[in-house]
Amino acid sequence: MNILLIILTAIAAGVTTYFIANNLKKGAVLASASVTLASGIIFPYFFPTMGSTLMVVAACASYGGMVSRRNAPSIIDMIMISAIIGMLFSITATSYAGIGGRLGTIAAISCFAWLGVKNSAKAASRARKSDFLSKSVGIWQ
Amino acid sequence: MTMDKGKIKILLLAIASTSLTWILNHHLGLGPIVANGLIGVLAAILMPGALAGVAYTSSFVGMSSLAVLPSIMFALIGGLIAGFVIITTTEIYAGIGGKGGTTAAAAALVTRAISGLLG
Repeated sequence: MNILLIILTAIAAGVTTYFIANNLKKGAVLASASVTLASGIIFPYFFPTMGSTLMVVAACASYGGMVSRRNAPSIIDMIMISAIIGMLFSITATSYAGIGGRLGTIAAISCFAWLGVKNSAKAASRARKSDFLSKSVGIWQ
Repeated sequence: MTMDKGKIKILLLAIASTSLTWILNHHLGLGPIVANGLIGVLAAILMPGALAGVAYTSSFVGMSSLAVLPSIMFALIGGLIAGFVIITTTEIYAGIGGKGGTTAAAAALVTRAISGLLG
């Protein structure tokens, strides 16, 4: 239940940041900082028990939401990156605690992971197509 | 690496942003998330895009705990290191979300090593 809440929070914060930065054209810094500030005020107030964790998750996802449109062209990409951030945050909760920049590093790893998955899928699809074409040419020869 | 006016501006901004975040975080007790958010919003409103990015990135270093940055002196050193890392890595992985945080984590780890050496 906690992990599901963490992933949902990450998706909401990541997508909101991406939307403010790219669709509203307010810039990545203002988008991320406003989502971080809002989550730091709202979550501890509305969720007294889990608020401190959720505000950190939201800040982490907002750093991921600073990704450029070139690397994450659609909102689906941002949802996937945010979901990876949520999972990675749950796994690495105790690693490097207290080091400034830890959350940004989680966000960067998640972006690279999603870009890797996307590029692998594209390469596999291209390989299948070229294999199919070479077999088709073989039949006609 | 040659130091021109622009790079000196980045270094000074990084030092100011890290130490301000550290003060908001530890002295005023706002916590790292609110301190970082405040500095980021102010930077985005008051500065042009590139400089706001520098201020926001170095603000991540100021989010460190007292075990990493035990005093304002180490926050100033952390800001200086963050400034150097930002200047030398401007072109690397631009457009990847979290790049600023990774830069800040590198600076925070170097600062922790220095604070460990100085006792």
